[in-house]
Amino acid sequence: MALNFQQKNSALVRRVLVIALLVIALVLITLYAREGEDGFLHSAQSSASDAASVVGGAGQGIGGALDALGKGVDNLTADDGTLSSLRTQNEELRAMVAQAEEYRQEALRLEELLDLKSSYSADGVGARIIGKSTQAWSQTVTINKGSADGLRTGLTVMGTTGVIGQTVSVSEHAATVRLITDPQSGVAALLQSSRAQGIVRGSLEGILYLENVDADATIEVGDVVLTSGLGGSYTSGLIVGTVVKVDSAQGDSSRRAVVSPNGEISALEEVLVVLGTSSSDDGSDGSASGGSGTNAADKGGAE
Amino acid sequence: MTPASAGVMKAVGAVIALILQVALAPNIALFGSFPCIPLVYVMALGVADPANASIALSFLTGLACDLLGSGPVGALAFLFLLAHVATARVFLVLDNDALFMPFAIMFAGMFAVETLYGFLLVALGLPVSLLDAFLNRAAPCALYDCVVAVIVYPLLVVLFSRTAKELKIRTPKLR
Repeated sequence: MALNFQQKNSALVRRVLVIALLVIALVLITLYAREGEDGFLHSAQSSASDAASVVGGAGQGIGGALDALGKGVDNLTADDGTLSSLRTQNEELRAMVAQAEEYRQEALRLEELLDLKSSYSADGVGARIIGKSTQAWSQTVTINKGSADGLRTGLTVMGTTGVIGQTVSVSEHAATVRLITDPQSGVAALLQSSRAQGIVRGSLEGILYLENVDADATIEVGDVVLTSGLGGSYTSGLIVGTVVKVDSAQGDSSRRAVVSPNGEISALEEVLVVLGTSSSDDGSDGSASGGSGTNAADKGGAE
Repeated sequence: MTPASAGVMKAVGAVIALILQVALAPNIALFGSFPCIPLVYVMALGVADPANASIALSFLTGLACDLLGSGPVGALAFLFLLAHVATARVFLVLDNDALFMPFAIMFAGMFAVETLYGFLLVALGLPVSLLDAFLNRAAPCALYDCVVAVIVYPLLVVLFSRTAKELKIRTPKLR
């Protein structure tokens, strides 16, 4: 298909084509905004993202590939056959050791997830992160489990040390998780010490803010923030993070605190998708889409 | 190189840009911002070969970015097409064979696209202020795009200067 037009083509045809495509784009935007999460465009977007996650996984090895390239250049300058042979042998042994270390660390991470699962009596599915968001405006990851593994939208996703996000779209063998640091994310939460309720929201800077806290509630640096389960968007009783800064004094109607996530979200490789807990009242019955955390904020008497 | 093969090469370039966006861009993020490589490609193409504006290619590239992302489908298709055509037109008028003009036009276009996209997201419900969207995402991402454009644009100029000579079409010269 010819994608370029020669100079000889009519300027009128080009103008008509531009206008037609612009109109098509505007129609698509309107349809996308009006349709629900199960609409055709949303589904197409979800499928494309899942397909692209295969390519995205290749990016994880780019750093390793660059290192290997550097080593290859070093080897090319060697002029002694024996030394070169020994060097090759040495590299193979190093690769085996590196792989063994990788397996060891993966085992440690999976053990931590298992411990977490036991601590919360959580029924969940372990998954591996296979892709990241391709746009800087959203903070999402793609995991390698989907509806075929029992996943649905609105499920809480945990890392090794705390809540990291919620499933927002699920296909058969993959799912998209919106991280709690995403500006569209909202987690109904409470402070462990004072039991004060609030909403933990993400931001473009990647910082978590605890908002909509009662003016008279006590917030102190070091307070642990847990999910409250209000609105049914996140399973209750799971750790979100720790208060590191309080923006306003007690009594101020617009109090806000900065929350540090419990663990490094960007470095995660394996996660646990919580299907339910045996102890808490499980509100994660699939009622949520990406905005459910925000809906929980509205129900919690926020804005 | 025939016009048809030039078109194929441009399409291949767009596919490569999309692959790099998926595989590379998220892994080179700085403070949460990373470049939109397909946008850089579309803008650089508009300036490198302004006489043969790739209308359908820019639209489809933007649409592919929409489908691979989480924003409204059609938004980047709209912005990429508009920016590509505008860039090509402006460059044909303002080109003075100096290196400054193509880069200035590209940078202005990328800033405009990133800012307009952010404003559109805010209008469609992203819970941040317009200033926040500009300062924390649009501007840093546009700056990152500019850095990538410094690498991409000379490659495209070299590539399409050969095509232009065969077709006897005027193209900008790197000096």
